[in-house]
Order: sequence, then structure tokens, then C-alpha cells
Amino acid sequence: MKILKFLLIVFFISSSGNFKSFSDEAMMKKGLEIFNETAGCAACHVLKAAGSEGNIGPNLDTVTMTVESVKEMVTYGLGVMPAFGEGEILTKEEIEIVSQYVVNVANK
Amino acid sequence: MKKRIKKLNLSRRNFLTGTATLAGVAATASFVPITIAKANHSEGKKGLPDFISWKDRDALIVHSDKGIETHRSAIGESLITPNRNIYIRNNMPTMTDEQIGNRMDWKVSIEGVKNPKTFTLAQLQKLGHETMATILQCSGNGRGFFKHKPRGSQWKTGAAACVLWTGVPMKTVVEACGGINGDAVFMTSAGIDHQPTGLDPKKAMIERSVPKKVFKDAMLAWEMNGVPLPNAHGGPLRMVTPGYFGINNVKHLGKVAFTTKESSVKYMKSSYRISPIGKKGSQYPSCWEMPVKSWVTRPTDETGTVKAGKVQIVGVAMGGTKKVRSVKVSVDGGKSWKKAKFIGPNLGKYAWRQFVLETTLSAGTYNIASLASNGSDKQPELRMENRRGYAHNGWKDHSVNITVV
Repeated sequence: MKILKFLLIVFFISSSGNFKSFSDEAMMKKGLEIFNETAGCAACHVLKAAGSEGNIGPNLDTVTMTVESVKEMVTYGLGVMPAFGEGEILTKEEIEIVSQYVVNVANK
Repeated sequence: MKKRIKKLNLSRRNFLTGTATLAGVAATASFVPITIAKANHSEGKKGLPDFISWKDRDALIVHSDKGIETHRSAIGESLITPNRNIYIRNNMPTMTDEQIGNRMDWKVSIEGVKNPKTFTLAQLQKLGHETMATILQCSGNGRGFFKHKPRGSQWKTGAAACVLWTGVPMKTVVEACGGINGDAVFMTSAGIDHQPTGLDPKKAMIERSVPKKVFKDAMLAWEMNGVPLPNAHGGPLRMVTPGYFGINNVKHLGKVAFTTKESSVKYMKSSYRISPIGKKGSQYPSCWEMPVKSWVTRPTDETGTVKAGKVQIVGVAMGGTKKVRSVKVSVDGGKSWKKAKFIGPNLGKYAWRQFVLETTLSAGTYNIASLASNGSDKQPELRMENRRGYAHNGWKDHSVNITVV
């Protein structure tokens, strides 16, 4: 089951350069779930699409960003933001999904 | 798949406070979308966040609501940078009027002195009164020139300002407390802007240690360019450490302590360290003294077409913790240099100087650079590569290309 889930994630990530082409509803939902629950990004960031109004870090609807820059930030952290990758709080796959999700829905 | 060591299902607030419990997890596990905290930084007028809606949007580049840069041409042609144009870099949310309360009742405690005391702002204003000019500059100003794209706002030149501060000299405060304890090595300043967030102070408190000697020129400031220190810039009281990077000028100041050791909070121990690319740690130098630096503010690609003939090349130059002694300007990418003239008032070694070089340019393309010296050091040609993109003062990256018609 775990292998199947992993292969599904790899398929969606490798078959798309951005979230638009990996617009599977389940993956969007997964990104939202990671944002609001697994990683708790919502506690610190505004992201209208996720309904979050956290006030610690930058408002993600105002940030200039790319999927790569978000992945880097989530993986290594910055200031008070934890290093979700280095700290193994999120898997690489989860970081990929949540980064694609944020860039895709920001300011929408 | 990489095995996950920690399976967390809790809000980041819990993670940061270190107070997560099963009950806490349950309480935060409502399904998406959710509302966790009320923001005070929704977009205000002209695309600026509400807390700085009074600033000049046209003068600013918005990297995020917590990283806002001044356009190269809006840094202030009359030496002092107007408040409405000054950059914003906040590690913590700006405190609100409600959180601050009566500004005159704001308290700061002084420790590591013979007679530790707590002063209200009203008491500080009776203790002494001084005005000085310093440069406020983010440690990462110039990060946007680094090719390895360090994390954080991609500042070019505009995370800097020349500011007039009014407050009480730290020296006066120290004297009122009977002097510094003999074994102190550092002056450690702490803000309280993390408190409303409820985050773990070890991870979120802005507490910065600088060498003790800095107190001699430091100030507890309550006014900025002639108005009460705006909340967005750390009001009602801020530490000013002349010649030192912005992060050491602690906002929303709650404590100053003379200490034997550097603070152990994250913002001192591991953040703001100048380390080689790929390396990090507290063994590397902290962002303290600013290096000598200059840049041209006009003409640039922001200031419109340059007509052939006489041209005034204008800019700003700083010496760091020393007086800036000279500036040279090149219009050919550094092949040849001419000495520029300092203009405007000299507001002391911690303020920047404006410079101008009058020259004649015919139609064509030019690379304009400036190179400042403080007598001991001069700007290098290239940036000092480092992991986080700090302390960039190389002249080449800061040069501008212009077309003369």
C-alpha cells in the first residue's frame, strides 16, 4: 500500500512541472492537508486559498516565489521557521506537494 | 521512501512553542480550511500591508508583507531617507497599538549594571535627550546579487536608509545605573515582539549581543526622522547600534543587559552567521559591523532616459563604523575611476554621505560603478560569497547599466 502511494506521488510529481498539470483533486487536497495540518503552515502564514490567517511569517499571498524557492525554504527553514526537511518533519514528497500547492494557489 | 523519524500532526505554533500535547493535537486537527490566528497584515491600500499603509507604495518593492525594499532611486536625495520610503524587514509581527498600550508607560529593564533598574519611556525622556544620524541596513542587503540564490528577500540596494534618531544615549542610561558590571563582555538587547505570538522565546525572541564597547555610541530611540518611532520600525522604543547591521538595532525593546556571554537564542546563536556556502554554525562571525559600501542612485534604469551631454552621477557612501573618506566613480565598468565630490551636510561617521560626479557622456551604453574607502578598507570588486548572502559590499554587482541617447 505504501509503495503504491509512493508510486502515485512520484507519478504526479514527475509527470508535471507545475501543479496545473498535476491538478488531480486528491493531490490538491493532500497539499492543503499538509499545509493546514501535517506541517501546520497555516499557524504562521496567511494563504487565502487555505483559509489561513497566521501572522508570524510572510503572507504567502504577497510573496514573490517559485516552487524551488518554497521547497528550499520549507526544507531548510529560515529564522523562526523550522527546517521541515532537515528536521525530517516532512518527507521530500510532502515538501514537493506542499510547495507545488502553495505556489499554485497563492494570491488566488 | 525515506523513513520519517518524526510523524507530527500539529500546528507549527505547537511545534515552535514546544508545548504540543495529545490534547493540543486534537484541538488543532480540525479539517481544512481552518482559521488559526487573526492576521493584522492583510493587504491595505495600494498593495501595502495595513500596518504600513502610510508608506509610499511607489517608492517600494514588495517582496512580501514582511520584506519591503526601497527603490534605488527613492533612497533619499536629501541625505535622510523619508520614513514613507524606508524599507521593512520584520522577523516578528509588528506590535499593534493595543499590544503596546500607553507608549509613555513602555518599560525597559537595564541589567548587568551596578544598580539594575527598569525605566518607563516617560522616565527615559527625563533622563537625557540626543539626536544622531545612523544607517539602518539589513544584513542581507545585496542578497539579490548572489548567484546561488540564498533564502530570504532578494534585496538589491534598498534594504538601507539614513535615519535621524532621537532618544537617550545608552551611556547616560548606564551612568544612571551606576556603571557596567566589571565582567561584562557584551551588550545584549532583547525585544518583546515575540510575546504576543506565544512562541518559544529561545526560537523567536530577537535578542542580540554586540561587543560591550558599542554602548558608548548607542541610543535608546523613541523618535525617527522627527516623529514618534512608528510601530512598524520598533516603536515606541528601539535600540540603535551605530555602524552595526539592522538586526542589532532591536525593535520593541524590553531589556538591555551587559552580559559575560552572547545570548543563546536562535537569532543570535545560529541565525545571522556569515558562513561559507554549504556550512552553518555559531562558530562563524555574526552580522555585526557593516563594511564600507556605496552605490549610485541616479542615473539608473529607474530614473528614465539619460540625454547626452552633462550628467550628474549621484549616490550614497558609508564607511561602516568608520568615517567614509573618499568615493571614486567609473563609467566604464571599473577600467578607469574619477574622484567624486561629497555634497550635503556631514552628519557624522555613522551617517552616509551623498556624492556626485559631474561628467559628460555621449550617446552609448555605460556601466556606472562607485567605490568607497574609509581609509582602512575599500570596497572589493566582488562579493564575499557566503551561505545566506550577507554583508555584500562588492562594487561590481552594485554597478548600473545605462543608455545615453
